[in-house]
Amino acid sequence: MSDAVTATVDARGPKKGIDWFPYVVAILSGIILVVFLAYPIGKTTLYSFVLLDDDLTFGNLTLANFRNFIEVPLYTDALQNSITIAAWTTVATVVLALPAAYAVARIDIPYRTFLLTFSIIPLIAPPFIGAYSWIILFGNQGMIRRYFDILFGIDIPTIYGPFGIVLALSLHYFPFVFLFTQGALAASDPFIEESAHIMGAPRSRIMCSITFPLVIPAIGAGAVLVFVRTLGNFGVPAVLGKEYMVLTTLMVYQVNGYFNLNAASAIALANVALTLIAVFFLARIQRRRRFITVTSTTRAAKRHTGRGAKIAGNAYVWSLFILAVMPQIIVLFYSFAERWAGSLWPQRMGWGNYHHVLTELTEPIFNSIFLAGGATLLAVFFGTLAAYISQRKQFFGKWLLDMTIMLPFIMPGIITGVAFLTTFNTGILILTGTASIIMLAYFVRRLAYIFRAVSAAISQVDNKIDEASTICGAAWGYTMRRVTIPLVAPGMLAGGILVFSTLIIELSITIMVYSADWQTMSVLMFEQLLDDQIEYATATGSIAIILTISLVFAASRLVGKSMADMFR
Amino acid sequence: MPDHVLTLQGLTKVFSTDRGPITAVDKVDFDVRGDEFFTMLGPSGCGKTTTLRMIAGLETSTAGKILFNDEDFTRFSAFRRNIGMVFQSYALFPHMTLFENAAYGLRIRGLDNDLIKKKVAEILALLGLDELAERYPADLSGGQQQRVSIARALVYEPGMLLLDEPLANLDAKLRVDMREEIRRIQKELGIMSIYVTHDQEEAMSVSDRLAVFNLGQLMQAGHPEEVYADPTSLFVADFIGKANFFPAHVTNRDGTGAKVSLNSGQELALSRLVEVRESEKADIVDGYDATLMVRPEHVEIGQPGKGEIDCHVRRIQFLGSFIRYIGKCSDATQEVIVDSPRAVPGIEEGSEASVTIHPADARLFHKGDGS
Ligand SMILES: Nc1ncnc2c1ncn2[C@@H]1O[C@H](COP(=O)(O)OP(=O)(O)OP(=O)(O)O)[C@@H](O)[C@H]1O
Ligand SMILES: [Mg+2]
Repeated sequence: MSDAVTATVDARGPKKGIDWFPYVVAILSGIILVVFLAYPIGKTTLYSFVLLDDDLTFGNLTLANFRNFIEVPLYTDALQNSITIAAWTTVATVVLALPAAYAVARIDIPYRTFLLTFSIIPLIAPPFIGAYSWIILFGNQGMIRRYFDILFGIDIPTIYGPFGIVLALSLHYFPFVFLFTQGALAASDPFIEESAHIMGAPRSRIMCSITFPLVIPAIGAGAVLVFVRTLGNFGVPAVLGKEYMVLTTLMVYQVNGYFNLNAASAIALANVALTLIAVFFLARIQRRRRFITVTSTTRAAKRHTGRGAKIAGNAYVWSLFILAVMPQIIVLFYSFAERWAGSLWPQRMGWGNYHHVLTELTEPIFNSIFLAGGATLLAVFFGTLAAYISQRKQFFGKWLLDMTIMLPFIMPGIITGVAFLTTFNTGILILTGTASIIMLAYFVRRLAYIFRAVSAAISQVDNKIDEASTICGAAWGYTMRRVTIPLVAPGMLAGGILVFSTLIIELSITIMVYSADWQTMSVLMFEQLLDDQIEYATATGSIAIILTISLVFAASRLVGKSMADMFR
Repeated sequence: MPDHVLTLQGLTKVFSTDRGPITAVDKVDFDVRGDEFFTMLGPSGCGKTTTLRMIAGLETSTAGKILFNDEDFTRFSAFRRNIGMVFQSYALFPHMTLFENAAYGLRIRGLDNDLIKKKVAEILALLGLDELAERYPADLSGGQQQRVSIARALVYEPGMLLLDEPLANLDAKLRVDMREEIRRIQKELGIMSIYVTHDQEEAMSVSDRLAVFNLGQLMQAGHPEEVYADPTSLFVADFIGKANFFPAHVTNRDGTGAKVSLNSGQELALSRLVEVRESEKADIVDGYDATLMVRPEHVEIGQPGKGEIDCHVRRIQFLGSFIRYIGKCSDATQEVIVDSPRAVPGIEEGSEASVTIHPADARLFHKGDGS
């Protein structure tokens, strides 16, 4: 090689010295996590040990807020009710979902792909809107109650109370159990069942001794997810509960009624404790995940071909899913009813409600998009950086980073809300009443989702590709920008869209931290419901549902996964 | 031990797919008796697995019959056929211990616990697994998992054992050990076994009899040495062992033999035509273009000009008990392979040579038949 060539390469060659970029990123992420995650959690925890209006000093520490759970009926009931609702909802979702999962995996169901896509609609529609449609049907003035009254003069019971809550939540959450179980059944090795069959086991025996035991981890994961989500759900018990209070509604009651952040913090802690117990069980079930065998053959498991099985399976699956999207259909129908009072059919139908919502209530809709968009960008940016560092770099305290980021998974939205309200209402950093408190709470709550999605995407990309770039002399930032990010971009973008679509209808966090200046679409809907402006609420709800579904659809196209797979 | 007989009569399987029907198995006939170790051999996609699955009852046949001791098997569902089967992927129950895996078939049959314990212990001992009874499949090596799946298939004393490429996931050394062990156990228990593989060496070494499949059809069945020595088609000749093929022109057909001339102009007198189907033998008449097949050990290599066909030696491999010469000659359709028990002086890589065919061991086939 000639000297001239060597000289040119050298002149543009790798920069010398330490590559500071990873450290800068790590420290920045660290600061964000400490300020917006560790600090709120710590402060909320401390607050729960102090009485309302007391200062946070050592002498003031007390267990009084927790003693309420033993001494005050309101608290005892809420705790009990929360457990009851979560347990029954979990049982109901499993009971509803298992036969459906089995049928979809093992019986010929026409339009199965459509059905699987369909099954996520209940999951992405805001549950409190779904709950409201039960009021539309079975509320005091409910359509069906009215029909029975007008047609037969029968007075059927209303939907308010625990039964209605469990019903609405079960139909909302059962797709989790369904999708997990169906996925596991579809992926299981058909040869395992065949070998049992050859050994002489009849169908029913195979089902009990092989098929179901093998998908227990999947069922368990779905069930625990339902349990945790139910515990954290605020909208449904708020709409259907009336005087039947659960932990989340009690929390809001303490904040909105008395601004008792200390009591709310204690309730939040109790809720987290329940969640932790459930997550502990999940971890135990997951340890058995190694039992799951994923087939390498394309041979599908044997299907039931009998007419009876086919008819029963199809009938069950289709009725269940139609029942599950019924609330959304009712919402959609109601949104076109401009006048509907006391009759069997609306007096006037048209686009009037949409017109009203879109012209007079643009601000909350804009607010939602702005807040959700900002939070999503932040989450994508920091989630990606953190995921990259955690996947590709070895450094001291890495487990701490992983764990901290994943914390919001076990912290329901409403608790993030309480924590933010408690923390940023007083002290060094006061954010109450601003847009940033909402945006930051959203960001913290959803960071884990991006972190997880991007971590998975990065772990798919061979580390050697990075190394090749580094060996060529590229600095870390350059490698990240030119090599890694482009490779994981689809995953990032899809994760971002998914996060955005859940945030524009977020209610649990928002109900805690919003202020009059920053009302969102979800809060607006919620207030419209409480004000009995059903026609506007349903129109807003329909816009939200359609927007969300389109976004999820876009995200699924982007990563080339089916919509159902995005939730597995 | 009763003398079981399995008979396949005109067994056919047609899969209907989006791209039209696929005939996976085409009128297959064979029978297996007593404690025979019978192997189905053939290239990928030739229908071995499908045939085996029809015997097991996992696939329904489109036409034909499967008889077991003269009883029509096709009427029984898989779980009533009393068959043991070993899958390529082992298909162990991942949520059960090794003991429970092995006990499964006995539990189905409703045996009492003590008897189950005894029988499982016996079979685990036979397979050298007694130490591992409480482990889960995930904690076993590939070879151990394979043993468990064999134990599981044998413990309830099935009428026959089916094995679908059971060794495909094992490494080469283990494969050789395992196949010997399978045969040992099979003979010890005296159980009829049908084994599927696409490895001809494996098939030759373990089978009592083997059946060569191609494109869904049974090409030839017989003892390994018989199939090797007297292949009835070019396909079998090529698939089993090594073979040299030469284009041959029939010049003088007489009775059981024929005279042929090779491209080089050399004439060969074949004393015996292959025992192909009678009707086809009749086709070989004077002036017919056929293919001559001869095994490498029935060809000699020598100095140029000494033999019938000249060739250029490309490669010499020392394979222990014999030496293999691989050469190129204009006469043969493929490379010429010569296996010689000892080195031939003066023949080196790159040198010219000539080969001599032993007419008594050469076989004449229809041109392009089967392959
Ligand atoms: N369920 C099915 N549907 C359609 N075609 C099938 C099905 N199963 C097998 N076939 C086809 O039937 C033919 C024979 O398949 P089979 O699995 O029996 O081959 P094989 O001899 O076992 O091959 P390999 O050595 O690769 O296992 C193939 O062409 C295959 O594509
Ligand atoms: Mg096969």
